[in-house]
Parts: sequence; structure tokens; C-alpha cells
Amino acid sequence: MKRIMRRSYLVLFVALAFFGGICFLAFRVVTQSSTWIQHPYNGHALASDGLASAGEITDRSGTKIAYNEDGQRRYHDDEATRRALMHVVGDKSMQVTTSIQNMYRAELTGYNFLLGMGLPSSLKSNRDVQLTVDSDACKAAYEALGDHKGACVVYNYKTGEVLVSVSSPTYDPENAPSYEEIEDSEWYDGVYLDNVLSSTYTPGSTFKIITAAAAIENIPDIFEREFECDGSIEIGGNPINCTDAHSKYGKISFEEAFAHSCNVVFAQLAIEIGPEKMKETAEKMGFNSDKVRMSGIPIAKSYYNADGADENTLAWTGIGQGFGDYEDRANPLRMAMIAGAVANGGRAVSPFIVEDDGSLADKLGIDKNKDGDTDMLKPSTATQLQKLMKAAAVYYDSSYGIKVGDLPFCAKTGTAERGDGKAETAWFVGYSEDANHPYAFAIVVEEGGSGATAAAPVADAAVSALVS
Amino acid sequence: MNFQVFLDVGIVALRAILPIYAVVIVYQCFASARRHRRPEKPLVTLEIEATGQKVPVLFWENSIGRSKGSDICVADMAVSRDHCVLLRRQEGWFVSDIGSKFGTFVNGEPAKGRTKVNIDDEITVGNTTFTLKRGDEYQRKLRPSWFFSKASDKGSLQPYKLMLLITFFQLFMAVEACFSNDRQDFLPLAFFGGLAVIEWAFFCISSYAFNRVNFEMEALALFLSGIGVMIGVRQNTVSAPDAGFRMALVQLISMTVGIILFSFIVKFIEKPDRVDSLRMYIMIAAVILLGINIVFGTVTNGAANWIRLGPITVQPSEFVKVAFIFVGASALDHLQTKRNFIEFIAFSAICVGALAFMGDFGTALIFFLTFLLIAFMRSGDFKTIILALVAAVFAVILVLNIKPYVADRFATWGHAWEYADDNGYQQVNAMIYTASGGLIGVGLGNGYLKYLAASESDLVFGIVSEEMGLIVGFTIAAAIVAMCFYARAITTRSRSTFYSITANCAAGMFVVQAALNILGAMDILPLTGVTLPYISAGGSSMIACWGLIAFIKAADERTYAAKRRPVAEKADDTPDEDEEIYPGTVMIREPLTREAAEKRGGRR
Repeated sequence: MKRIMRRSYLVLFVALAFFGGICFLAFRVVTQSSTWIQHPYNGHALASDGLASAGEITDRSGTKIAYNEDGQRRYHDDEATRRALMHVVGDKSMQVTTSIQNMYRAELTGYNFLLGMGLPSSLKSNRDVQLTVDSDACKAAYEALGDHKGACVVYNYKTGEVLVSVSSPTYDPENAPSYEEIEDSEWYDGVYLDNVLSSTYTPGSTFKIITAAAAIENIPDIFEREFECDGSIEIGGNPINCTDAHSKYGKISFEEAFAHSCNVVFAQLAIEIGPEKMKETAEKMGFNSDKVRMSGIPIAKSYYNADGADENTLAWTGIGQGFGDYEDRANPLRMAMIAGAVANGGRAVSPFIVEDDGSLADKLGIDKNKDGDTDMLKPSTATQLQKLMKAAAVYYDSSYGIKVGDLPFCAKTGTAERGDGKAETAWFVGYSEDANHPYAFAIVVEEGGSGATAAAPVADAAVSALVS
Repeated sequence: MNFQVFLDVGIVALRAILPIYAVVIVYQCFASARRHRRPEKPLVTLEIEATGQKVPVLFWENSIGRSKGSDICVADMAVSRDHCVLLRRQEGWFVSDIGSKFGTFVNGEPAKGRTKVNIDDEITVGNTTFTLKRGDEYQRKLRPSWFFSKASDKGSLQPYKLMLLITFFQLFMAVEACFSNDRQDFLPLAFFGGLAVIEWAFFCISSYAFNRVNFEMEALALFLSGIGVMIGVRQNTVSAPDAGFRMALVQLISMTVGIILFSFIVKFIEKPDRVDSLRMYIMIAAVILLGINIVFGTVTNGAANWIRLGPITVQPSEFVKVAFIFVGASALDHLQTKRNFIEFIAFSAICVGALAFMGDFGTALIFFLTFLLIAFMRSGDFKTIILALVAAVFAVILVLNIKPYVADRFATWGHAWEYADDNGYQQVNAMIYTASGGLIGVGLGNGYLKYLAASESDLVFGIVSEEMGLIVGFTIAAAIVAMCFYARAITTRSRSTFYSITANCAAGMFVVQAALNILGAMDILPLTGVTLPYISAGGSSMIACWGLIAFIKAADERTYAAKRRPVAEKADDTPDEDEEIYPGTVMIREPLTREAAEKRGGRR
């Protein structure tokens, strides 16, 4: 009998293993249940107990951009505004996973772990969510994008409020196209992706902001130097050309090279700085990291890699056109944060989009975004970059008549080659210097061609709407 | 405040009370199981003739031998490692030689088979001779077990009060189910009525007809079965509006049949040796049952594990589970015979092979794991276990080669969310709805998981958690774990190793099943489609679970206490309030001298 007793420890062990499994399950449920319930299969969320009893979503001025009426989820009255805000707000399909209606479903529907989703609607404590976006400015940006795919983001670099966030292609959430339509249409390719948050693009010349920062911090006499550019240079047996509109050949200063986006100069600078310092600067500015989130919503990781690159490749990465293993990828919101850091003396304020989700933290006035702020640049570097971007902006204004809401601004354009035969991706990254309108922006227009002509007007439209 | 809000508050309050109530019931069942122990006095004592030293005999079956693991360890080179077994039966004490080298002698006569030993008789093993004495001649105190509560502790709930608790729990469930979102009628109350009548009839028969004092295991099984019935009532879907009624009815009827089977098994194995003589017949019956299944089986969900008998379908493999436990165990003196063990291994191989052949890999896995448990409990041999595991690995490789679709299930394991539209669909749904229920659930009948095909058996943990909340879900899991603790705690208090092994392995089987069901649905283990004991829809499963818990019930010596009293030799059966003592072994360090042994007729 004693032996049997001892052997029965095996049964006890099996029971304890099961108990361990149950504890692990409990841990998983506690930590992940609010994610699990957001899955589109969830009948509680789709049926009358789901969004139909969810709280309202309003923009910064209190305008309703999603609400319930007669048991139906309704969105903004104006169709263009609905389209502009579709990726921010989300829709019934639940496919835009970074949208507020997905990410804040628990808050909106009053879900909490204790009570589950089964409360009768008479007892539900659904909450309203107020966003920082300006729906009129979003509409203006959406209309300025026209029939181009792309992204437009404007955020306050002092406070972190995201004011404009528009992604195209989009659709009207009240008349959503069917799955088949989306599947079959090339236009709808990527429609469920919020390009502001979840996409990355080849940064092209906008990456010169990062290369310039590395040059300022690593080459002491950079502003005294004089460079030579005759439109092309051969590095490692391959030519690198100045493709941007380039009116100034011959002797050129660092400042002029930045304003005119001289590939020849920046390719040489990247080689001089070297792969380690290039990568270090890029990573300081948030590349290769997805740590920062916007109100808890993930932001796609931007990539920069130069480890072991040969001179030619390193030169290409320095002008934002790296390829293969060394491809540069930049997320629009990340670029806006970098512009904001330049404007803000080197300090990047983390963006947020949820003004008030009715939570206890909001009621107590706890700033949930505080610890996300980072110092991307030394203050002195930021001041120098401001000068460079100011000179560029002056040049854009005089050559192309670019305005940004009639505010004094600093910027950098980009015209990134895609390498698949399609027209270039147009970029416009910068910020307004006006103390009352501290806006940093990043605009991407796919197949837009020149950054100055295709992307800059979107920034103007968005900021103009914000100013008025 | 309008009436609707008033009603809603009431229903939500009920939902919030039920989980706490469930915890209280399960706690009370085990608190009660820890009470009412007979004092741990030696049953008899063996007096060593040469020295006068007294050795307490603590168990109903005691191994005597030279090896350290023996219950009575004799450090005498003339004693075999496993020499003989001293066992107690209703008729008195027996000694049974288990293949010792020099034999066992009772009053100088060699013992063949089980030989009766009376008080003051002499038992000789090797050079050592014992005299059988009464138990009260031994006075030393022994270590108490942690599981059993002290006599000084607060008294536990009376069985009828436990029954009242459970009845009210079921009433509350029924009331809640009456107000479900998609259907409001009094059908759940009708089922509550049925449950209450059956439960109380069972309770009355158990306590008045059989005079049984304890009712904890039955109460626990009734509690779990009741959840199964009440979950079932509202399992109607759009396409099958009366599915809930049918499911609850099947659960209720099979619970009744299960109770009858339970009572039968408890009665049938009252004499542990009766089973030994019938082992072969049970084995043959089980194999025939599986054979019928293979020949006449209907394929459902990829496994041909059903047979249709007119309007009803049965799953024979569920009943074979009960037979499997039966066949696995034996009394201590028969346990170590090689023939007994080889028969069992052959029987196990047939069962697992037949189930794998039918494509019911989940049940095959349960059988295999239970086989490992039984094999280890019998032999204590890790080599056997490792050997079996290696064989199993080869078998699995073979199966994966012959039936590659089985591998797909394992490919999804741990990555259900990535295969949400495909092979992970069931797990993903179970997880979504488990989370949606929160701690107290969305209310009986208000879940969405019920709309998923086969969810009421494979994913039933998800349904319970969604509709009744995670607390109830985890309480069920905890109840099954606690069952193991209980089965283990009564191991040495059982009347035979037959009971110890069957009880432990039945509890082990419950745990294995619960683990595969719950953790499988939650993507922590591969989804194998096995049932959750008592809760999952399915009559065969419900009946088999009642059959299995009979083994745990029978292992508790109190179960037969009332009947034993008249023939007991001593007053040690009266449950007086004495301190609880944990049995230990007393070693006899000094063997007798050769002269003394010769004088007493010992050989050598």
C-alpha cells in the first residue's frame, strides 16, 4: 500500500500540471481578453449588444463623427469627411485594426473583464471617446489628396495632439463596398491599412534630414565646407545622379545642397559619416523601433540598415534610396515626429489621438503620453537643422510658390523612386514655425511624382483648414 | 426606475451570485470529504516472537518483504524482496505468498494461495516469525496527513445541507435561463424539477437504503451534471430551435442512467476479489464492444466512434473507459503476477489501437495516458513508462505518415489566431467568447459560441465561461484537480490496492480529459475533440463519468462501513473523534538468530 501511495504522486503531478495549465490560461485571459473580444468573429460585438450600444466618438470640437441612432451605427453627416476619417474611426467591418472602434472597443462598449460583454443595455456603462483630430482639416486633406493613394498626418509638436490623419484609398463607412468589390479592385488594394500608422514608404530625399543630422553631429566643419557637384558622381563603379530639380551645379555649400536636395553631396556625406554613425543617428530618431505608440495604437516600424554595406549602397541609403537588405523605409507619422523634434529643439513629443476616453486616468488628469517623449537630437543640432529646412522652404516658396497655410514654415521634399516602374512617391515633411500653430506634418502621395508639386499642396490644404 | 431595469438588475445580481455560490459548493464538498475519518490505529499488530517487538499493521493490504518499499520491511536475508502479502477481508485476515524463494508458513504449515490467519496464529517468513495480535496493543503515535482535517476543527456541512446548496444553485441557474435574451419560457424550470427529483431520490436511497454516511463525491458529480443539463437547455440555435430541449433531456436521462451505473459499480466491487475473477470477461466484453464499433460504426467528424441503435446513438469507447480502469487494477497479492500485467498491456494495446483505427485520436490519447498512469501505479517502474512512450512516438510517426491530415491539427497548435479562418477557427471562437463572458458571464442562453457546430462538446468550456463566467469555468477545473487530491489521500485507507489504483487512475483520467478539453479549446494544447467530464453534451460520456467516479467512491472505506460493522474484529471501525494519523512503516532491524528460527520450524 505504501508503494502505491508513493506512486500515486504521479497522478498528483498530472493534476498539478493541469492546474499549472489553468493558471497559465488565467494569466492569458487576464492579459489578452480585451484583444480577444475585438476579433471580428465576436458575435457580441456585431449584434445589437456590440457597437449599436457603443458610445459616441467626437472630434476635437465635439462634432460627432460616430454615434448611434435607432440602433444603427452612424458616422459624420458629410460623405467626404466620413471617407477622410474612415481609418481613424473604423467601420462595421472591423478590418481596420488600428482604428478607434477596434482599439477602443472595450471602452466604447463598456466591456470590462469583470462583467464581460453581457450586461443588459439598460445597465451598460458605455463611454464616449473624444479625439484630437479636426474633422474639417481631415476633409480638406482628403480632398487635396484627390485620387492618389497616400497619407497625410499633421500633429502638434508641442502637445502631441494628432490633428489630421488621413489615409487613401478609403471608402464611405456608411456605404462600405462588399468584400468582392474590394478583392477585385486594384484601387482598393490596401484599403484596410491606415497608411499613416501602418505603412512604410521609401523616404527618398526626406531622409536627408537624418543624414544632415548625422553630418552636423559628426563633421565639425560641415558648414564651412564647399562641395563640388556636376550632377553626377561615380561611387563604387555606379553613378549617383541628382535627379531632383537642380538648378545649381558647380560649387555648393552644405546648406544649398540640402535645399536643392543634392544627391551627389549627400551620397558623399553618408560615406564620410560611415555606416555606424548613420545607423546610430537614424535609430536615435526612432528608426528600427516600434516602441512608441499613438494612444496605445501601434505605429509601423521604420527601417534603416547600413551594417556591412559597400560604399555604393551606403551612399544610396544616405539619400533615402537604399535597396535590397539596405532598403530605407519610413512611416509617415514617424517622419512627422522627426520634423516635430527639429522644430521642438530636438525633443520629439509622442503623438496621441484620444483626447478623453472617459477613463479614470482622464478624469484625474493623468497625462498618459508623458513617458513616451524622447530626445532625438541635440538642441544645437536641431537649431542647425531648422536653418537648413528654413532655407529649403524659402527655396520651395520662391521656385514653386509653396505655401503652408500662409504660416512661416520649414520643410523638406522627397521624390522617392519605387523601383517597380511606377511613378515616384512624393513626400513633403516639415513644420510650421508659428507659435500659435505648432504643427509638424508629413505627406505621402503614391505615384505623385515630385514632392514639391504633388505632396506640398496637401500640407497647405490641411494646415490652412486648421488655421481657419 | 422602470420594470425592465429592475428585472435587469435582478438577473445581473443572480449572475454575480452564481460564481461565488459555485466556489462555495465545491469547497464544501471537499471540506466534507476531509472530515469523518476513522482514527488511524493499527488494524492488527504483529509481534516478533524472538524479541517481543510489536509491529503495527496499518493497511488492509500489506506487503511483507526485504525491500525498503515494503509495508512491513524485514531485514532478513532469508526473506525475499517481495515475500508475501498480509491482507484483510470481510472474513478475516489472510496471508498470501507472492512467489517468495523460501515460502511463507502459517503455524508451521506452508501457505498455499490465501491462507486464513487468526489472532495468535504464527506467520513465518525466512527466519522471522510473527504472531498476529489485536490492533489496540500498539500505542505509538503516528504522523497525521495534511489532507484530513483535525477532529478539533469546525464541523463540516451535513450531506443534506450540501444537497440543499446544490438544489438552490440549480434553481438559480434555471431562473436565469428562463430570462435568456432570445427565448423566455419556463422550460428550464421544468428541467430543474426533473433534476431535483432525481437528485433527492438518489440521496435518500443512498443514505437510508444503503446507510451511507458520506455523499461528497455524489454531490460533486450532481453539481457538475446539473451545470451540463442547464447549459444544455438553452443550446437552441436558429436552425434547430428545439436542440436545447433535446440536449438537456439527453443529459438528464443519461445522468439518471449514470447514477444507476454508479450504484451498480459501487455494489459490484464491494468485494475486491470478485472483480479479479471477472477480469477476463470484462476484457472480452470490452474488446467485443470495440469490435462492434469498428464494424458498425458511423463516421462523425472524421471519427467512426458511434453506433446507432434505433433512435439513439452511443459511443462505446466511453464505456470501455470504465472497463479499462476495472481491468487495470488488482488486489496487492495478484498485482505482481506477470500474467496479470501482460494481460493488461495486451488489452491496452487493443483499446488504443482500435480507437486509433477508428480515427478517434483524442480518446486513444486518453487511454494511452491512463495506461501510463495505471502501469506506473502497478509496477512503479519508470522503464516501463519510457518504453511505452517510445512505442507511442513510433506509433504517432506512423499515424502521421498514414493520415497526414492529423498533422494539420498540430500545425495550428499555438498559432490558432494565425489560422483563424481555417483550422484555428474553433479555438479562436472559444477564446473570443471565453473573454467576452468576463468573470461572471453573459447569462445562460445569451452566448454566441453555442451557434458553432459541436461547440457543446469540444468547446464546452468556452460555453460555460461565456455564459456563466470564468469563475465557474475555473471552479470546474479546480473541482477535478481536487478530486485527484482526494483520491490520493484515501489511497492507503482503501480496502485493497484494487481501490487505490482504480480511484487514482479514474481521477487521473478525469484530469487528462479536462486538460485536453479545456486547454485544447484555449489553444494551449492541441485540440483533440475530447469531452469535458459531466459538462460536455453526450449521453455516453455522462454515463461513463458516473461509472468512473464510482471507483473513487468505492476507494473510501467509509462507503461500505455500515455493512462491515457486524463482522469487524474490533471497535476500530467506529468513527469516534480521535486524532488523525498518517501511516508510516516500522522497520524491523534485527533478524532472529538462526537457533531461534530453527526452533520455530523455519527452514535454512
